[in-house]
Amino acid sequence: MAEIVIDGKSYSFEGKPKLLDFILSKDKEVPFFCYHPSMSAPANCRMCMVKVGQYVKNRDTGEYELDEHGERQIRWFPKLQTSCNMDMMDDMIVHTHETDDLVKRAHKDTLEMILINHPLDCPICDQAGECPLQIQTYKYGPEGSRFEVKKQHKPKHVELGPRVTLDAERCINCTRCTRFTDEISQSHQLTITRRGDKNHPTTAPGAVFDDPYSMNTIDLCPVGALTSTDFRFKARVWEMNQTPGLDITNGKGVNVDLWTRDNLVLRITPRHNPHVNDYWMTDKGRDAIHLYNENRLSTPSLRLHPKDKDLVMTSWDNALQTIQEIVESTDLKQILSLGSPYASVEENAAWAQFSQSILKQKPSYTPHVEKGTGDGFLLVDDQAPNTAGCELLGLKKRTKAALKKAVSEAKVIFSNHDDYIERGWITKEDLKGKTWIYFGTNMTQMADAATLTVPITCAAEHTASYINVDQRIQRTYPAKETKYTNRRLDLEMSEGRLDRFGTKFDHWVNEDNKIDCKPLWEIVSELFSLWGNTISYRHGRDVLETLNQNITALDGVTYQAMDDHRGILLSTSEPQEASA
Amino acid sequence: MRRGQQKLEGQMSDWRSYEPTLIPNIGGLYQLDTYRKHGGYEALYSVLHDSKKWPDPSSVVQEVKDANIRGRGGAGFNAGLKWSFMPPTDGGPRYLACNGDESEPGTFKDRKIFEYNPFLFIEGATIAAYAMSITTIYVYIRGEYRSWIKKMEKAISDAYDAGLLGKNIMGSTFSVDLVLHSGAGAYICGEETSLLESLEGKRGYPRVKPPFPAQRGLWGRPTTINNIETLSNVPGVIRNGATWFKSIGVESHPGPILYGISGHVNRPGVYELPSGMPVMTLIEEVAQGIKNGKKLKAIIPGGSSTPILPAKDVENLTMDADALRGAGSMMGTAGLVVMDEDTDIVETLWRISKFYHHESCGQCTPCREGTGWLEKILEKVVRGEGTSRDLDLLLDITSQMEGRTICALADAAAWPVRYTISRFRDEFEARCKPSLVPVG
Repeated sequence: MAEIVIDGKSYSFEGKPKLLDFILSKDKEVPFFCYHPSMSAPANCRMCMVKVGQYVKNRDTGEYELDEHGERQIRWFPKLQTSCNMDMMDDMIVHTHETDDLVKRAHKDTLEMILINHPLDCPICDQAGECPLQIQTYKYGPEGSRFEVKKQHKPKHVELGPRVTLDAERCINCTRCTRFTDEISQSHQLTITRRGDKNHPTTAPGAVFDDPYSMNTIDLCPVGALTSTDFRFKARVWEMNQTPGLDITNGKGVNVDLWTRDNLVLRITPRHNPHVNDYWMTDKGRDAIHLYNENRLSTPSLRLHPKDKDLVMTSWDNALQTIQEIVESTDLKQILSLGSPYASVEENAAWAQFSQSILKQKPSYTPHVEKGTGDGFLLVDDQAPNTAGCELLGLKKRTKAALKKAVSEAKVIFSNHDDYIERGWITKEDLKGKTWIYFGTNMTQMADAATLTVPITCAAEHTASYINVDQRIQRTYPAKETKYTNRRLDLEMSEGRLDRFGTKFDHWVNEDNKIDCKPLWEIVSELFSLWGNTISYRHGRDVLETLNQNITALDGVTYQAMDDHRGILLSTSEPQEASA
Repeated sequence: MRRGQQKLEGQMSDWRSYEPTLIPNIGGLYQLDTYRKHGGYEALYSVLHDSKKWPDPSSVVQEVKDANIRGRGGAGFNAGLKWSFMPPTDGGPRYLACNGDESEPGTFKDRKIFEYNPFLFIEGATIAAYAMSITTIYVYIRGEYRSWIKKMEKAISDAYDAGLLGKNIMGSTFSVDLVLHSGAGAYICGEETSLLESLEGKRGYPRVKPPFPAQRGLWGRPTTINNIETLSNVPGVIRNGATWFKSIGVESHPGPILYGISGHVNRPGVYELPSGMPVMTLIEEVAQGIKNGKKLKAIIPGGSSTPILPAKDVENLTMDADALRGAGSMMGTAGLVVMDEDTDIVETLWRISKFYHHESCGQCTPCREGTGWLEKILEKVVRGEGTSRDLDLLLDITSQMEGRTICALADAAAWPVRYTISRFRDEFEARCKPSLVPVG
């Protein structure tokens, strides 16, 4: 066991950790820009300087050499060292800015240098409010600038690719973006061009930065140099609420943060989870904002006559009574009940319960797998977020062909989420003469062809869990309100930052963006009550608690446990992993 | 004759009779047969075939180490010692990178070797390759050296044709390839690790050390980087022995030196003379005095990054690492820049800073931003718009740059500013308006 003394406190360590990693792991701070825990350390920002020395040992006896006061002698390194690439050694002494004025001065000097050619346009910069350069300048920087000559001008608003826009003047040349394309996404699309204070990241001449992971460079960028072409200038960071969520566009179950304002999801950024996605997510996953905000089904709608072109809005009571009438007037054998790998565990479980007790059948589901679309990184072939959940709940698995056959044989069909028509699995012709009841979030082709559409909450509006392709169960939080929720009362909804008067920034006044929809388990509860059943689910937790008792694999799997362990790896045969 | 001659004649009586070995006065030495006629490739032959004298490669390393060839690229590190840092062979490739990128203002010595004696260098590199079990030699030559690149290409292909490079050199079991790679006009690629990056086809960004090139160099394999002039001294050491080499010039920095004298002298050029030459002898006799009979104002002893020395400090100064360090400067590449009494020191410094601003690779913050800041303030001072506060600020910026970067370019940019201002403060003050505001 080796020993190291940092700011007068001694720590023991094993192996050869890097000094910065170690200091950060001890809840101490050292400022840095270019370092990233998942990438190589180029040590180019020169920010993480520390003073390093080592106790002097007598070569022959191995004893510590003592000075005249009987203290151990220290041999200091002649220069300050960057801690990010410094290998830790036994008997090392480290002074950070907390205990050494020279280190403090070095931080100030480096920040002064970084800022001389930086445009200091924080008031119009997207990064302001979450900008490491801004934060560290306030913490460690000089009070003013002594730079009185002309700043270096560089290209501005350069569209590197379809999703990323560069402002080279803000760039501090940390090379995180180029290292990302070299080491993580391995598309090698970005490089630094030109020399000295003129240099900035760019693509090869004529090349387009269309990496499927390109937008991670925006999150990585420690300044506002790389910005999202879509999100640019749309919102200040402090106006938005940040809510943990999941990427529902793929089976990988990437952990994300949803950034909302006025009940609109404005952007999606990755959330660190070392077991699933590390610090990264796909660009495709960020496009889910359109799913959450646009083209939503709101208020139940009914087709009065099969030949009618349009659906007409109806009340929830009428919609649910219509369902009751349809079920009671149909031979149960002619009803097809479908679950969905796009729906959460709770939604599928609630629907399965209704289906089994009222429709007297297990729902079936059809996995949405597109072979060859996976890339071995964060994209997998499975397009749906909860295929494993359907399997765990014991839903019947149907192939595409079997689904088409079942549809053709049924008279009344209940389905949720899946847009089979858009995928080409069934055609509108197949629905002729059938009663299709569709629980959905968006105005899909399926909704357009349905007899009755019932709007349900999307992954940004409810608490529910999803099981990814690796059998990890993870959960979402409500990030935006529906017509029937209130974020001041729902303790799971995130709160805005405090402004300088101590009040929260999130004064959302816009009622337009609230969708008239309900969670599927609430709809199921209301349907149950029509049949005189007392089963009632007010929250995803109620459904999960029932599952905890009924399914062994889910025993003890609570939302709290999922939060504590960043998702729980389910295993049907082996015991669960102890901790994250 | 001229001032200084009588005084120094006693100390350095033999420099006039010195026989040059690196660029001897032999016509057509760039042709292989002429080179061989004058003893060329004898050293390599003896290394490869005289197993009594050279029982194994390490004996060659030892001899070079004993000769104490101090690296001629500027750092002055014992070349043989550097060779001995190479790890034992593991069967994989090992590289020798020869640094011929000389781009420092005031330095133009290696090009004389490329021009007049390319085979001497090739032979030296081949011996080095044998000594360190190198599989491929890369010669990184400055891109602007168009005509010398052509000369080198010819020399290399002649050497291949004569069996002096490639498979089974001179009938022995030793094989090595030599590849010529031309730079693309970046000063930073003369820094040894960015030279490796450049050879790998990447941006010339210096690497973080450790790992040192001997452990992980070119393509992650053990690599030694030597200057062209350093390697050109190797055949002489092998042929005549370490003792012979050490007898030339001063003891602490032995051997012949290519002095590149430029500036306000009557005969600028590259002169091969023993180390430790008195500076005044170099100026007054070798370069035949300052133009138009002017007085000396200052010299830059070893390329633009070495601190400037005013005339009064140069009187009894000799050109070797220790003497120059004592005087407050450095040997560098022995590219002596001579400035006469009419030289505008302020403008000179501005021009030097402009060079470093242009050449900073931009990797580390202090150098990327600092070099530009220095230049911009100096430009202001040159225009007569500076204040005395600016001078203190310049000194402050240099202290913010020195020792805070991955490579030494920030130091090379900061030193001229620091030492020129501190040694010629009066001239700077004369160009500046007074200021009472402290720089703090």
